Amino acid sequence: MAKILVVDDAQFLRVRISRLLTDGGHEVLEADNGFNAVQAYQDGRPDAVLIDITMPEMDGLAALKEIKALDSDARVVMLTALGQESVILEAIKAGAKDFVVKPFDAERVLEAIDRVLA
Amino acid sequence: MKVEYLNPFVEAAGEVIQAEVQLDIRRGELAVQHSAFTADEITVLISLVGQVEGLALYGMSVATGLALVSRMMEREFPEFDDLAQSGVAELGNVITGRASIKLTEAGLRSNISPPTLIQGKGVKISTLQFPRVVVPLIFELGEIQVHLALRARDRRQAGVEVTRALVDVRRADG
Repeated sequence: MAKILVVDDAQFLRVRISRLLTDGGHEVLEADNGFNAVQAYQDGRPDAVLIDITMPEMDGLAALKEIKALDSDARVVMLTALGQESVILEAIKAGAKDFVVKPFDAERVLEAIDRVLA
Repeated sequence: MKVEYLNPFVEAAGEVIQAEVQLDIRRGELAVQHSAFTADEITVLISLVGQVEGLALYGMSVATGLALVSRMMEREFPEFDDLAQSGVAELGNVITGRASIKLTEAGLRSNISPPTLIQGKGVKISTLQFPRVVVPLIFELGEIQVHLALRARDRRQAGVEVTRALVDVRRADG
């Protein structure tokens, strides 16, 4: 069992992913924007982070950079829309370990989390 | 409005509905609307800005919205609560995001705004006071009315379109 931080401004997606991870035996923390994600990472020190790219307040890329500054070993998976390839490349350069493309695919989410936790 | 703007939205909606609720969609008859008032119980509104700009709206009944989110979340939603609203808005967001990528692949780059959810028929939207194409997407859980009011932003591109149209008219005139 691992502690996973799920970050998305869409409540529906957050709840859906959280339920999937909880059913898989993981503990889940949630945040609704990048700013709150950095705070939640600092407070909760999760084993992995699943974070959306496009969000208000602070986007996922900026949050990734701040999380990596806090913990260079942070294991972060980006949640992206199709076509954000340039942002994904930048995220991987900034230390993201994997990415999951929307629409939501339960198997792909679990596979990405398993991979970064391995 | 050009058909090349419409097809990416229909294709994207089909792909997203298939991925999310495992159902095929059927396209209904195209219509043109001019009304500034919403005609559906729920409307998701998303703006596009870029080489193609304007509005994409997704209208549906509360029953269809509830059926969609119930299927996506694999549990019954008796009320159109905050979570259900977020689910319908996210569906519109993913469809529009995917459509904008298809437009980009066709050489028409645009960015999309976060979704706005409007509840209630007859809500006036001032920016809707121009003609828009409406295409119903029909599937087992109900219908989604896709409203598109899109145009080319680049004046040079718009000029090319006008020139092409004039050439076509002259050809038609013989």
